[in-house]
Amino acid sequence: MSSTAAPLLQTRNLGVRFGGLQALEGVDLEVQPGEIFGLLGPNGAGKTTLFNLISGVTPASSGEVLWRGGAIHGLDPNRIARLGIARTFQNLRLFQSLNCRDNVLVGLHRQARLPWSDALLGTPRAHRHQRQLLEQAQELLELLEIGHLGDQQAAGLSYGDRRRLEMARALANRPELLLLDEPAAGMNPTEKEALRHLIRSLRERFALTVLIIEHHVPLMLGLCDRLAVLNFGRRIALGTPDVVRNDPAVIEAYLGGQP
Amino acid sequence: MHDLTQLLLNGLSTGAVYALFALGYTLVFSVLGVINFAHGAVFTLGAYFTYFLIGGAAGANGLLAGLQLPFALPFWLALPLAGLGAAAVALLIERTAFAPLRQRSADPLLALITSLGAGVVLVNLIQLLVGAESYAIPTGALAGLPAAVRLGGAQVRSVQLLLLLVATVLLSLLTLWIDGTRSGKGLRAVSEDPTTARLLGIPSDRMIQIAFGLSGFLAGIAGGLVGLSVSIAGPYFGIGYGLKGLGVLVLGGLGSVPGAVLGGLIIGLAEACVPADLSGYRDVVAYGFLFVVLLVRPQGLLGRVLPSKV
Amino acid sequence: MDSLLIDASLLQQMLIGALLGLSVYLPLRCGQLSLATPGFYAIGGTLAALLSTRVPALGGSEPVYPLPSVLLEMALAAALAGGLAAGIGRLVLRLRGVYLAIATIALVEILRVTTLNQESLGGAVGIFGIPQPFLDPEGYALFTLLALALVCWLCDRLERQRLGRAMEAIRDDELAAACQGIDTDRTKLVAFVLSAVVAAITGVISAHFLNSWNARLGNFDASITTLAFVVFGGSRTWAGPVLGGLTLTALPELLRPIGDLRLIVFGLVILVGPLLLPQGLITPARLRQLTRRLRRRATP
Repeated sequence: MSSTAAPLLQTRNLGVRFGGLQALEGVDLEVQPGEIFGLLGPNGAGKTTLFNLISGVTPASSGEVLWRGGAIHGLDPNRIARLGIARTFQNLRLFQSLNCRDNVLVGLHRQARLPWSDALLGTPRAHRHQRQLLEQAQELLELLEIGHLGDQQAAGLSYGDRRRLEMARALANRPELLLLDEPAAGMNPTEKEALRHLIRSLRERFALTVLIIEHHVPLMLGLCDRLAVLNFGRRIALGTPDVVRNDPAVIEAYLGGQP
Repeated sequence: MHDLTQLLLNGLSTGAVYALFALGYTLVFSVLGVINFAHGAVFTLGAYFTYFLIGGAAGANGLLAGLQLPFALPFWLALPLAGLGAAAVALLIERTAFAPLRQRSADPLLALITSLGAGVVLVNLIQLLVGAESYAIPTGALAGLPAAVRLGGAQVRSVQLLLLLVATVLLSLLTLWIDGTRSGKGLRAVSEDPTTARLLGIPSDRMIQIAFGLSGFLAGIAGGLVGLSVSIAGPYFGIGYGLKGLGVLVLGGLGSVPGAVLGGLIIGLAEACVPADLSGYRDVVAYGFLFVVLLVRPQGLLGRVLPSKV
Repeated sequence: MDSLLIDASLLQQMLIGALLGLSVYLPLRCGQLSLATPGFYAIGGTLAALLSTRVPALGGSEPVYPLPSVLLEMALAAALAGGLAAGIGRLVLRLRGVYLAIATIALVEILRVTTLNQESLGGAVGIFGIPQPFLDPEGYALFTLLALALVCWLCDRLERQRLGRAMEAIRDDELAAACQGIDTDRTKLVAFVLSAVVAAITGVISAHFLNSWNARLGNFDASITTLAFVVFGGSRTWAGPVLGGLTLTALPELLRPIGDLRLIVFGLVILVGPLLLPQGLITPARLRQLTRRLRRRATP
């Protein structure tokens, strides 16, 4: 994890302003390929806002977002997704009226491309293609342990299963960078431990880089290679878990705010 | 010179009606983020209420043929009463077409559909009850007022002046109410930021009902004024206003009260400027503005910059 | 033939209703409310009326209007309507959904008023004596049935491909759909253009069937009616608007007393429909059950 290697994702002096509120200011980050990089901070610190800026959902007011050295700030979310950046949402944004398999199939959108003639006429190639997609979708569902829920409508799932579905859908994008927004919300300690293993194994299996927002500090300290801590829209600490856990600014932020 | 005065007056009085009408749209859009497509029907109802309250009689068609109220009110009483009647209907529409969808957290687009349905049902119900023929205001309705006055050397219909006066008064009262009273400020708060408003304890359901009631009241009076100054061409005459009102709304900017007024006046004046030989195209002036706005400045003249998604 | 409940002429109208329902359904599948279908329908009808009566080379004076000319009219109408839809769509589809609804209402009105006031487009009186490619209603019904079958087949294929899934995703959550790499603007545009094309070719058929055309045939009332087809029949699968179009067109004819209250009934359908039957009568689930039951019956 040498700092002289070219970062995969970089933000430079990134800031955004909503009306009178400066939600993020002067945020500098570098995420190296293959890292699991954590974002910590009290509620309202601007973590999800940062995700929104990176994924193109919200336009930045100042600064840059660079992907492999190229500017991506100002691009539409779908362009950014096609570059290889996928995300989950804090408040879960599943396609409620579709079943689990279809949700993942939407995630496979980029892979699902087929020439018009094949698609219209239902040629053997089209059928093969469709079968492959279904297999891929089923694999992803099983990887997240919801393989039995393929036909179930997304709206009727339990909270934990919905979280898993959203992750399966994000993985279907075949991303290089995966943004996870509070994937451990609502989990008990056993589940959190399983999640830690899952994220590690996903990184190995898919050669992913992961940027993760979470509240549960011990989970993050045990999972991430490096961490950044935000407070009031600014980065107040950056470094390995050991460095961050002993940073006085971080301790103050957490004692003064919420755990 | 007289022509110019007349043109100006025509434009302003038409514009004033459009402004009142568009205000009703704006009030509901501010608090709910949807367009109430039944607004035109409520406007129509206001015209019919006014007609009957002034002592008019129903025509020969329709289930209520020949109906006539046993009294005849002066216009300055009939208009506000018609407004109240329209407000009541608007509240009913809120309960049937909007509230159930909100309770189920349904897609807001569905409210467009249900309000369209409500409007269609209302207008066709009117047709069923009192027929489709046009109603002219009975003579003497504007008791006491001369038919025309001299203004700037021109003969001006006093009805048009009345229209302008009423519109101005209503607008001023509305602005005072929004800035001055607690409910008014609450309404503005909900329109600017519903989440914070709710957190501050402003009851958004009640605000929504107030918005609907007000919009219905304004529409009812506007309808009555038009009925008084022109005539009621049939139950469908409000549909045209309803559709054109959308052009006013987009021009002024969705959700902007001063925008609705400005947009209404601009379109009213523009329509008045259409030469007589192209008069058939007067109706599409509003739509022309609409497309130009969408091309050049989608948020309208005074609207807020639109968030493009979410 | 006379003892049948539905004669060929009514069947023809029902099939037209089904096609128009499909036209409204396509943008709705992306979560976009478009009320433009009557406008594009009118473009098709006016174009067919003008071409067949004013361009002798197409064979308007022959006893039977040549079918290739009809197909040419359909192709031209499709191109014109599609082009217009692409232009407007690009303007409007980036904005909130309500803007499309408003812009399409405005479009219908602009087209109607322009046609009404322009003698060259028929004016207030309209265009008469439109040549007939078929000499009896049965011929029309068969032709329209073929057109409907083609459009249904296209919609079915669309629903099974990634485009159909993308449309549903956009309807459920446009932002999340974009984050999966779906070009939401382009998808919505495709749906809108397809909707315009279907409406326009339907207008061509109608113009010949009705023998005359005028500006009133593309008005706001028709927006309501065609919307009711989808809201009632079902908005989640192509079978819905087909069912809605067929039944709601037949209903006022079969039940005469209701015929007078036609618009009230349609108004009630779209007022109450989204509350009682949010997905309409035919939902994908019910369709699956139905096909399963039919398949079981077919194999003893």
